[in-house]
Amino acid sequence: MFVLSFLARRLAQGAVIVFLVSLLIFTLLRVVPGDPVRLMAGGMAPEALIEQIATRMGLRDPIPVQFGRYLGHVVQGDLGQSFVRPANGAATGGANFNDATRGERAEVIRLILDALPMTLQLAALALAFALVFSGLLGIAAGLRPGGIADRVAFAVSSVFISLPNFWLGIVLALLLSVKLGWLPAIGYGGFSYTVLPALVLAVELSPVLIRTLSGAVAAQMSESYVAVGHVRGLSRPRIVAAHALRNASVPLLNLLGVQFSSLLGGVIIVEYIFDYPGLGLLTINAVLQRDFPLIQGIAIVTSAIFVLINILVDLAATTIDPRLAY
Amino acid sequence: MDAVETSLALAPPHADPAEARLMSRSIGRRILGQATGSTGFRIGLALVLILALAAALYPELSGIDPVKMDVRARLLPPLFLGDKWSWAHPLGTDQIGRDMLVRSLVGLRTSFLIGVASVALTLLIGCALGTVAGYFGGRTDTVVMRITDAQLSIPMIILAIAVLGVSRPTIPAIILVLGLSNWPVYARVMRSVVMAERGREYVCAAQVSGATHPRIILTLLVPLLLPPLLFTSVLDVARMMIFESTLGFLGLGVQPPTPTFGNIIADGRKYLLNAWWIATMPGLFLCLTLTSINLIGAAFERARNTIHGGA
Repeated sequence: MFVLSFLARRLAQGAVIVFLVSLLIFTLLRVVPGDPVRLMAGGMAPEALIEQIATRMGLRDPIPVQFGRYLGHVVQGDLGQSFVRPANGAATGGANFNDATRGERAEVIRLILDALPMTLQLAALALAFALVFSGLLGIAAGLRPGGIADRVAFAVSSVFISLPNFWLGIVLALLLSVKLGWLPAIGYGGFSYTVLPALVLAVELSPVLIRTLSGAVAAQMSESYVAVGHVRGLSRPRIVAAHALRNASVPLLNLLGVQFSSLLGGVIIVEYIFDYPGLGLLTINAVLQRDFPLIQGIAIVTSAIFVLINILVDLAATTIDPRLAY
Repeated sequence: MDAVETSLALAPPHADPAEARLMSRSIGRRILGQATGSTGFRIGLALVLILALAAALYPELSGIDPVKMDVRARLLPPLFLGDKWSWAHPLGTDQIGRDMLVRSLVGLRTSFLIGVASVALTLLIGCALGTVAGYFGGRTDTVVMRITDAQLSIPMIILAIAVLGVSRPTIPAIILVLGLSNWPVYARVMRSVVMAERGREYVCAAQVSGATHPRIILTLLVPLLLPPLLFTSVLDVARMMIFESTLGFLGLGVQPPTPTFGNIIADGRKYLLNAWWIATMPGLFLCLTLTSINLIGAAFERARNTIHGGA
């Protein structure tokens, strides 16, 4: 029963957030300079034609009117059609704009759903790398504050946090792919293409994970229940594995919810560097082509995912530590 | 001196503003004192000073123009690497013979300027809103906190890319976008510490004796609560510099011909196979700078955590 009311309240809040995000991005795109119609029709198109197309597409209506119309479609599950991408995959735009091809333009929802699994695969692998690496280092550091592992963890996280992902991506591609030939780097032709981008993302995610985990483990190990555990005759591994880690995982979970935003930023850059056909590459291209419907669709979908992940994180945290239920 | 500070730290909640201000100076000083004692801080500070000095002086003193082309000296490798290196270009040259060291240092200037300016903007917005929300509470608080919640759940990178992608990225626009991206974090921290402080006797005493709200906030609360935040904001300078170079890499940062880490690396990527140093050398520079800044920031953060944990 508690879970149901919790879900209902959080989903309602989430809906408000998604609405605000779509309102914000919709308005921003139309307020800042840069006319998508000029891009679609080509630089040589006469002013009258541009105005005619823009009016027919509804781009000259007042922003609230446009937004209302857009939202009406969104609640029916229709995110609109891309301005520039045709359904069959080839690029359009430029000089050959004419309205007859409009019907063949790709559905935004289709483009996003095609790219999303690729990005989820990348994100999951990156998260797995990061969790294994930071888990080992962070727990070792937290068990003996001030010890060698703690120093190593501090040094590693200080260096990792200072590596810009786009530079690391280039350097790793140069070393592992060009010089050593161990891993493929550019494009996508199978699971092995995910490894290199995932490594770069994992390096970006690790520092915060390491610091949070070592801090949380250290804090748990100084709790009285650990001392009592020793008195009760429990072995140290058992105390650590069954009691301390369980409690130390709550801050880690919360962090993962918050980290989603920076993971998303990393995904955009990494996919761009490695030409990995996921949501990040789609976003960059959408922005560069001023593909308003696609940008809006991506913003709505990602903020919805963000909301859902945070709800899941809170649910998982309550399962681990029932005191958190509210 | 140590004994005085310890007794202050253990003192019960302070009752008068003079003592509160003394306390604030002492917290700031204690963080500073403890941080400056650590090795990491000293290494970081030394490196930052060297890099800042180099960035300020070398491009002027060497007289090399970061955008001047020299086709006879194109694609020279860095010192001691490859066979054509020259002392005139310690980090080599790019595909049209521009000096990589000068370009990296000028890039460092821009990046550092944007990093510091955007963190200052973040601090200003975040602390102002957080203080107002925490001090006045009630409906003001609710409104401000809902805005921060909403912003924290917006993927800022998409927004930043969208805004800078469709408008023309100038330095003020970039500072504005970066500065607006992170303020909710500061607003939340500032709100919680102001809330904890506003019920204290000395604040009530000031209110009763007729001090206006702005006066209480500016002369009592801000001097007391801001310093710890200022110290940890050093870490954000590094974060913003990464953000700035990332935008530059995507072509959405400061536009060429002004060299930035981002656009140099993006350029160099095309020549990766026959001139690896164009893309990698500026990156090493950037990493070195970021590591030094992060060492300083981490020392501050550790000092603050131990002081807050112990006091």
